[in-house]
Amino acid sequence: MTAPTIAVGNGRATLRRNFWHGVWRVLKRKPSRMAGMVIVLGFAFMGIFGPLFYPDPLPRDTANLYAAPSWEHLFGTDFEGTDVLALVVTGSSYVLLSAVITAVITVVLGTGIGLFAGFRRGRWDTVLMRITDMKLTIPGLPLLLVLSTIWKFGSAIEMGLVLGLLGWGGVARAVRSQTLSLRERGFIEAARGLGLSTTHIIGRELLPSMAPFIAMNMLIAVTGAVYAQVGLFFLGVLPFEANNWGVMLNLAVFGGGAMSSPAALPYLMAPLLAILLLTLGIVLAVDAMDEIFNPRLREE
Amino acid sequence: MTAFARRLAGHLARGLVMILIVTTVSFFVIRSVPGDPMAARYEKMVEQGMSPEAAQRAVEVLFGFAPTGSLWQQYVDYMSGLARLDLGQSLTVPGVGVSTVLFSAAKWTILPVLAGTLLSFLIGIVMGVYAAIKRSGKLGDILAISGSLLHGVPQYVLALLLGAVFTTLWPILPQGGTADIMFEPGFNAGYIGSLVEHATLPVLTYALAGYGGWILAMKSSVVTVLGDDFILAAELRGLKRGFIFRYVARNAILPLFTILALSLGMLFGGAIFIERIFNYPGLGLMLIDSITNRDYALMGGAFLLITAAIIVANIAADLFYTVIDPRVRSGEGVA
Repeated sequence: MTAPTIAVGNGRATLRRNFWHGVWRVLKRKPSRMAGMVIVLGFAFMGIFGPLFYPDPLPRDTANLYAAPSWEHLFGTDFEGTDVLALVVTGSSYVLLSAVITAVITVVLGTGIGLFAGFRRGRWDTVLMRITDMKLTIPGLPLLLVLSTIWKFGSAIEMGLVLGLLGWGGVARAVRSQTLSLRERGFIEAARGLGLSTTHIIGRELLPSMAPFIAMNMLIAVTGAVYAQVGLFFLGVLPFEANNWGVMLNLAVFGGGAMSSPAALPYLMAPLLAILLLTLGIVLAVDAMDEIFNPRLREE
Repeated sequence: MTAFARRLAGHLARGLVMILIVTTVSFFVIRSVPGDPMAARYEKMVEQGMSPEAAQRAVEVLFGFAPTGSLWQQYVDYMSGLARLDLGQSLTVPGVGVSTVLFSAAKWTILPVLAGTLLSFLIGIVMGVYAAIKRSGKLGDILAISGSLLHGVPQYVLALLLGAVFTTLWPILPQGGTADIMFEPGFNAGYIGSLVEHATLPVLTYALAGYGGWILAMKSSVVTVLGDDFILAAELRGLKRGFIFRYVARNAILPLFTILALSLGMLFGGAIFIERIFNYPGLGLMLIDSITNRDYALMGGAFLLITAAIIVANIAADLFYTVIDPRVRSGEGVA
């Protein structure tokens, strides 16, 4: 009995090695994908280690308010004379941490509910999908604004939790329709015919074939969460407890008058560029992942 | 036709349930606000020398439902007020009903959203057809990339960039309000010109934000139709390239009409950013102002109206699709 187990183990290891080989090949073929991965990894590095490079609190240079971009201050300074680039880097942890929490909750809840509804069908399916449709109909941003009067979204974790709990609807719908189409395929029928347990079928047969789809949704959820929370802080309905990109945008536009005087423009542009760059990185990375997980798309 | 009526009835019932849920949510949010705004208001009025009874009545009028009685009683009162379109009184605009304030703000959201969406729809589908026909060429690539980028960027980033360019760096457009106060509102050239000038940036943002989605959707729809048999038949009959717009676009556009109505609804939610950035007094700005002023009656009303707009757009999308696509209709007759 031991021999086959070892063989299976070796098989798995080779598969894994081949997978990483494939990833490398896919990335190497198109420089844009490599750029996307580098950008995403760069932002992750910035979010985790960025604040370590700067003193806390950030130094102020009161003689240098709204300074123009220079070598010393690449994006100028803000209304207190603090370096704008430093603000973007230290502000990224809040933004990225809550976005990752949101994405994990969105995907776990969405996948779970979508799989359950699609696989069970029947009454549970109807009830769950009704709820999902309702969630999808209630406009997210206005609801968040109304909720902001009773919740303060104090920490990045709270923010991620709320956004995640509000955001699973789309993923659940998509996963359900994937499940519905997959469960009629031959390999699932065969697994059921063999009398394998539902947990086995879902965990070992369904989930792996949906992995690319789920991974992509995860990255898209990260972008959505970044937009949503930066937007909420930008609108100025939440208390400014921590430094983050949305707070910077708000202060630049409504405090610094970036819509009428050019002095605050670099202060506005720095977080905007950070958002644009992160979006670009994620879009390019999604493109690469599509090909990694979908061997049929590979041009060998 | 009975199938159509049944469909409509189902939609309306579901829409009503949604509105009921949304009203309930806003009722309980207003009730659970820390520091109870009604009690605070009451205290303030008594301090200002009002008798407790008069202050009590004033608070009831202000908030649109009696703060006394059981929670259930208050809820019933609030709901019956809603049925009469009575959402209470606004705190920030004293003496004026919330519904009046909301309806006067609604036109500043509806018109720009409609104009921007239709503009992006028209440009997007034309460009989408080109992107599909020239999909292996450079032009197609450029169009598709411009679509993906604009589709991926959030509305407020677009609005901020446009604002930075056209009101700060190169100040040729006004940055707030609906028209200059020097013009008298009415049907005169100066006022209308000023209206258009002030609406340009919001409309342009709605249009740019929508354009990316349209070009991508139309491109994939056209590519699908191009693979259909009737196109092959038409090509075999020797039809020229010019037939593309007449034959292909007409068929490819059908599924996009559903998205059109849906995106109109979605834009009501997104209007919040654009109205805040360009200081444009529509429903979104009203919602923000009501939150910063702690005007809870107005807040509940604005939230309800935005949601209602989205529900109506969803129903319209579904019904409209039934009307314009004969295949959906015939499928229904069988079922």
